[in-house]
Amino acid sequence: MTERKSNCPNCGAPIQFRYSSSVQTVCEYCKSILVRTDLDLQKVGQVADLPPDPSPIQIATEGKYGNRNFVVVGRIIYQYEQGGWNEWHIVFNDGASGWLSDAQDEYAISFRKDVAKLPSQAEAKLGKDFRWDNVAFQVTSRTLAHYLGVEGELPFQYWDKTDVTFIDLRSSGGDFATLDYSDALPALYIGKAVDFDDLRLQNVRRFEGW
Amino acid sequence: MIRRFYLVYGLGVLALLATAQYRGWSFASVNEVKNVPKSVRDNPGSYRSTYIFYHGYSGGK
Amino acid sequence: MPTPNAPSGPNPSKAASEVHVRSLTCPGCGGPVSLRSFGQAVNAACENCHSILDAQDPNLKILQQVKATEKFWPLIPLGKRGKLRGTVYEAIGYQYRRIQVDGVTYGWSEYVLFNPYQGFRYLSEYDGHWNYVSPLRSLPKALAGVSSQYLGQTYRHFQTSDAKTSYVIGEFPWQVRVGETVEVTDYVAPPRVLSSETTGDKETTWSLGEYMNGSDLWKAFSLPGEPPPAIGVYENQPAPLGDLPKSIWKWCAAFLVGAVLLVILNAATSHEKTVFNRSFSFDTSATGEPSFVTDVFEVTGRSAPVKVETDANVNNNWIYLNYALINEDTGQAYDFGREVSYYYGRDSDGSWTEGSTHNSVTLPSIPPGHYFLRIEPESDRGHGTIAYTVTVSQGAVVVSWFLIAIALLVVPAVMLTWRSMSFEHLRWQESDHPKTSLNLSQISSGDDD
Repeated sequence: MTERKSNCPNCGAPIQFRYSSSVQTVCEYCKSILVRTDLDLQKVGQVADLPPDPSPIQIATEGKYGNRNFVVVGRIIYQYEQGGWNEWHIVFNDGASGWLSDAQDEYAISFRKDVAKLPSQAEAKLGKDFRWDNVAFQVTSRTLAHYLGVEGELPFQYWDKTDVTFIDLRSSGGDFATLDYSDALPALYIGKAVDFDDLRLQNVRRFEGW
Repeated sequence: MIRRFYLVYGLGVLALLATAQYRGWSFASVNEVKNVPKSVRDNPGSYRSTYIFYHGYSGGK
Repeated sequence: MPTPNAPSGPNPSKAASEVHVRSLTCPGCGGPVSLRSFGQAVNAACENCHSILDAQDPNLKILQQVKATEKFWPLIPLGKRGKLRGTVYEAIGYQYRRIQVDGVTYGWSEYVLFNPYQGFRYLSEYDGHWNYVSPLRSLPKALAGVSSQYLGQTYRHFQTSDAKTSYVIGEFPWQVRVGETVEVTDYVAPPRVLSSETTGDKETTWSLGEYMNGSDLWKAFSLPGEPPPAIGVYENQPAPLGDLPKSIWKWCAAFLVGAVLLVILNAATSHEKTVFNRSFSFDTSATGEPSFVTDVFEVTGRSAPVKVETDANVNNNWIYLNYALINEDTGQAYDFGREVSYYYGRDSDGSWTEGSTHNSVTLPSIPPGHYFLRIEPESDRGHGTIAYTVTVSQGAVVVSWFLIAIALLVVPAVMLTWRSMSFEHLRWQESDHPKTSLNLSQISSGDDD
């Protein structure tokens, strides 16, 4: 689907999907969550007022992953018992879709990877080893989280408030992976942990006194 | 800094070793007497050794 | 109309894009609570009443009421900024933790540092030793139980203990509670330390610390006065000598090789050979002049040591020989005396001997030329005839110089190694693996000086 302009079914404001991979967006004016179908936009939910945002990243922030350039187009805010984190939806120059996760300013970039047999929640215990893409991963954390809000364009529909398990894994070489149990079938995202400096971010948020 | 000092020191030790060997130094205490007359060969008893005074003298002229 | 392929202008419903510091009121005591991390922190401990508050809650719900029976004063005040590794950080939190080892309690301070882009770093301080700590992005590899490998470097297990939080103020990016314990394990590769903390639910976080001098930290944060003095040796404190002992030993080996070459060269050019060998006998009962002169013999080569050996068949007796080596051409004499004595017998412990029938002396720097010996023997009167043999050899090798050179070369290296080993001994005294005897394999390689 190419980018299309239409109007918010709730408030009539102009809505534009700028990235072909986007399936969902949020109306910046009325905060309605809109999903695009073949015919038109459908309102599926409403984003509540978001808490003050501590992330230096914002929609339209640009950065680099290796020598590929990306721009931040959307995000999901997650909350769990110990705190929260952001999953920023990023789109690369070549149209590829990825995720920049930001948890207390610790960053990782990952991409969805289709792998035949993924472990169940019970199988992926803390400290257990798995091997994907020829990299040895070990389970480092298991988090029960729910979404707190969405913003911008996302490559799938997401507004469900139920608690979902996320299992993080790391390697001894800086690799990062997440098992996402939001859907019936688990999804795997693989990538690397990165430094703020590695990302060479531009158009970041400003902080009072910094 | 200590490395440089040890380098110089080590070369100095080798120089000491080379000099001691080349010049033939040893540890014996030897007294040098100059100008011993040739007549000593005919009359050994006339030789005045400085060493004699450090130990019992039981021979003599 | 917004142009295609480009994001539109500033979002009208978004607040101003600059994020502000928040000042709130503690629900426990009414005192002010500043949240300096723009919402990144999850807990904030009130500096006044020490209650632990939910920093994500606009009302700062109280998570733990704390009755502070003791107070600690952070050396870096909260809100102070300093530049470390090229980035400015602000101290936003402080905690004091304790462990118990062998019945002794040790406590240390930790500071939470914050930069809105780079995130969180930590400083830990114990007895004046500081560490700059960052969370790890990769997992270390466990090796054989007593060490861990990270980014190709091996870290040796130093200590595992349970750390209990005693005091908390300021903001933290994780849940803290006074009185809670976590299992902490440290692996060291000075100047770095690899630390793991495992919570009750078995989740482990890793961090990497780098040793810092108090004075460098004081400069970075522009703190007044002097940093606390560093007492003792800390687990990852870099060894002051670092790699020095190793490189000195390498030079020492090179110099020893040089010394051996010099000795070989000397031996090869020495023309060592016997130039005089004659036997005599001394009648201890005789009267008259005992001194005599030998035949002339030649000493060739360069100025070199000359060895004079005396073998006498003294049987529970002694003979003293006054020697003079006289140069026939120059009239130069070298005076020396040698005693040969040998005693033996039996007593309650068995048989014993004292002395020797052989005596050797090496005369220094004898120039080449024609020489003879003037010999004047002495002994106790009336003890029969003593037969003795005199052997003179030229070009003698004085081994002592080689031994002295070895000693001089080796002593500094040994001293440095000793100092290094003493330092490492002190370091490991504080660990779970104190050394009972000094072990060469404990010498760590610190930074080059």
